[in-house]
Amino acid sequence: MNAPVLALHNLAISFGGVAAVDDVSFAIGRGDFFGLIGPNGAGKTTLIRLISGILTPNSGRVELLGEDVTHRSTATRVRRGLALTHQIVRPFRTMSVLDNVVLAAGHMRTVDPLRALLQMDRHAERERAMSILRQVGLAGAETKLAGSLPLGQLKRLEIARALALDPTVVLLDEPLAGLNNSEAAEQIDMIAGVNASGVTILLVEHNLEEVIRASRRLIVLANGRVIGDGVPHDVMRQQDVRAAYLGESVETYAAG
Amino acid sequence: MFYVDLAISGIVFGCMYALMAVGLTLVYGMLRILHIAHAAVFALGAYVTVLVANASGSILIGFIAALIATPLCGVAIYRLLYQPLLHYRPDVPMIASIGLLVLMQDGFRILFGEQGVTFLKNPLAIETVDIAGITLNLAQIAVLIVTIIIFLALHLFTTQTRIGVAWRATVSNPRIAASFGVDAIRVRYLNFAIGSALAGVAGGLIALLNNFVDPTIGYVVSYKALAIIVLGGLGSVRGTLIASLFLGVIESYGTIFIGSYLNRDAIAFLALILILMARPQGFTGARTA
Amino acid sequence: MSAYTISLLSIVGINVILAVSLNIISGFCGQISLGHGAFYGAGAYAAALVAIATRNLPLALIAGMLVGSVLGLIVGFASLRVRSDFLAVTTIGINFLFTGFVRKQGWLGAEMGISSIPASGLGASGNMIMIELFAAATIALSLYVNASWMGFAFRAVAEDEDAAATLAINGISYKLVAFALGTALAGLAGALYAYFTQFINVDAFDFITSVMLMAMVVIGGIGSTVGVAIAAIVLTLLPETFRFINEYRLLVFGGLLVLFISLAPGGLASLFHGTRTRLRR
Repeated sequence: MNAPVLALHNLAISFGGVAAVDDVSFAIGRGDFFGLIGPNGAGKTTLIRLISGILTPNSGRVELLGEDVTHRSTATRVRRGLALTHQIVRPFRTMSVLDNVVLAAGHMRTVDPLRALLQMDRHAERERAMSILRQVGLAGAETKLAGSLPLGQLKRLEIARALALDPTVVLLDEPLAGLNNSEAAEQIDMIAGVNASGVTILLVEHNLEEVIRASRRLIVLANGRVIGDGVPHDVMRQQDVRAAYLGESVETYAAG
Repeated sequence: MFYVDLAISGIVFGCMYALMAVGLTLVYGMLRILHIAHAAVFALGAYVTVLVANASGSILIGFIAALIATPLCGVAIYRLLYQPLLHYRPDVPMIASIGLLVLMQDGFRILFGEQGVTFLKNPLAIETVDIAGITLNLAQIAVLIVTIIIFLALHLFTTQTRIGVAWRATVSNPRIAASFGVDAIRVRYLNFAIGSALAGVAGGLIALLNNFVDPTIGYVVSYKALAIIVLGGLGSVRGTLIASLFLGVIESYGTIFIGSYLNRDAIAFLALILILMARPQGFTGARTA
Repeated sequence: MSAYTISLLSIVGINVILAVSLNIISGFCGQISLGHGAFYGAGAYAAALVAIATRNLPLALIAGMLVGSVLGLIVGFASLRVRSDFLAVTTIGINFLFTGFVRKQGWLGAEMGISSIPASGLGASGNMIMIELFAAATIALSLYVNASWMGFAFRAVAEDEDAAATLAINGISYKLVAFALGTALAGLAGALYAYFTQFINVDAFDFITSVMLMAMVVIGGIGSTVGVAIAAIVLTLLPETFRFINEYRLLVFGGLLVLFISLAPGGLASLFHGTRTRLRR
């Protein structure tokens, strides 16, 4: 296997004595497509926050391209090649769709405010943003205000913004949430296309069917621990994975 | 006895701040709006008390008039200014509120004169009593008694009556209260009416205490009340009461010990800024929005 | 030009610098500051002291800018710790703290203020031209900032700081730069004011001044340099041209503020960062 671009080593964090993430380790190689699933309360959101730098673990390390970033800010991690999309989309609503992506494409210019002050040219970034918008299927929407887009397109805009950062690895947090079946299938095909162009993907999703279809490796989280790790179809046949999920679906059913 | 006198005068000021600030903290708890124009309602209470007392010859009638005028004013502010702005960022209604304060304060100046107004007859500010060697004037005693009665009544209202309980629930968690069928709009009107009435009484009391009302009366008090509700842990009546008394006493001693470096108002803000920096969520940290 | 016109134009120029600089902090970067008067005042006092000590115009202007921006950086650090509406309260506090402090300082003239500030040596009209040049430069700088990548990132920080972080934009350093830049210009305005009046009193830098400046920014269309500059000019000239308005100056300002926000809250809010408003019904 090639050198990992993102590696987690024995990550652990607890809140008020309850372990939310407990000794989680895995490594994603360049060009991989990882799916991360788990029932509600499994610790997925906490793990995402640890990877993105919103939370700092009680113990363990996060490495990006072999470098320890456990105590680095989100902005620093992004500069080192990590890109994030949010489960709840957060575009800059008062900017145009194009500007949203241009700003991301110019991330090397905005690292330092004073250097940013000395730069005005946006030509190259506009070109790049246009080509990314075409890649995610948003060509034609570039002059619209981001706030006016429907959810499906906003999800694409999030991904476009992430891609414009020229990332080594993209962490996608529920990019299918809120989409209908055909939209979700379309979206996952687009993501698979992005992966085919060489971008490493870590996909955190609720939609099992699509994750299993698209990812090459699947990690299952339950009660903060990794309970399954391997080729998707093999993992889904594991006894404890089925128990974790069936247990949940029974509960969900009862609650519903 | 000097230090005891200072403490008492601090507590009297603290009571006034508390009456003024409670309305503010309740509005913040319910709507997340920094209702700075509350100070204009307070000033209105002061003016109405003095003017009606002078016209009728009875300070009591003055207070009753203030108790009618200020809730109406408060509810009107909510309905006309804030309600259309509820869906915007909290800074938007706040800046509108500052605009309204400036507008109303200047309106009072134009209507009632640069010099302000004084009671024609105010025996309470002159007559004093000695209690255990401490000299208090009747106005100070009135402030203490009225404050105690009001806070007791408020406590009973919010624990013993149906609408009071609904009100308290809405302040501490608007969403949950709504899901229990509390009529949010009615509770908001109630909130502004009661908060404004308390500010009106506070205005009347400060007029009694100082024996005059001038056009700038609202400004300093308003920002001080903001300081207090932040210190008190926003949305908490008890925290506000404690912070008010605390600030009143601190100011009293502060003017003696550091009064040559800072004036009374600056002391309050110094305390506020220091505490905000140390505890961004406020004194009691009761609410983290 | 009459002495009256010259003095009027000087005040207009100073207010343009103040409003445009506040717009950099509150409009571009979304940090609501209601204490701009304090930075203005700090610059004025610093320049007055340096002018009296050295009689050197450039030195006094630099001192004003420096003191304004140092104070601004301190407040900028404070802004990192508190939410937006608390930031507004904190900046109000800074303004009261400033005036309360100055009133008790004998070396700053306490309630009396500082008189006998030396003349700039440029004459009244030369002084006015200097002020207008600085005002023009401030407008140009503001337009440039907005067109640069810094202005682009400001908009992102103003709208959603966390989302900006996912684009590798460090909100903290941008906020500090906005405060340092905006307050340095306020300090410069203070220094120009000190030379213009040759007498300063703390009343000129009180909270009401800060509110008036915020009114100029809001009415001019928060975030728009040209709009804010025009609002500053109009709102300065209005009470001077119509003398009867001067008596009711605050009434007019307060009324306009309420009116503009009530009529156009959406425009206002969307240029503040509109996405994070919580919907409550």
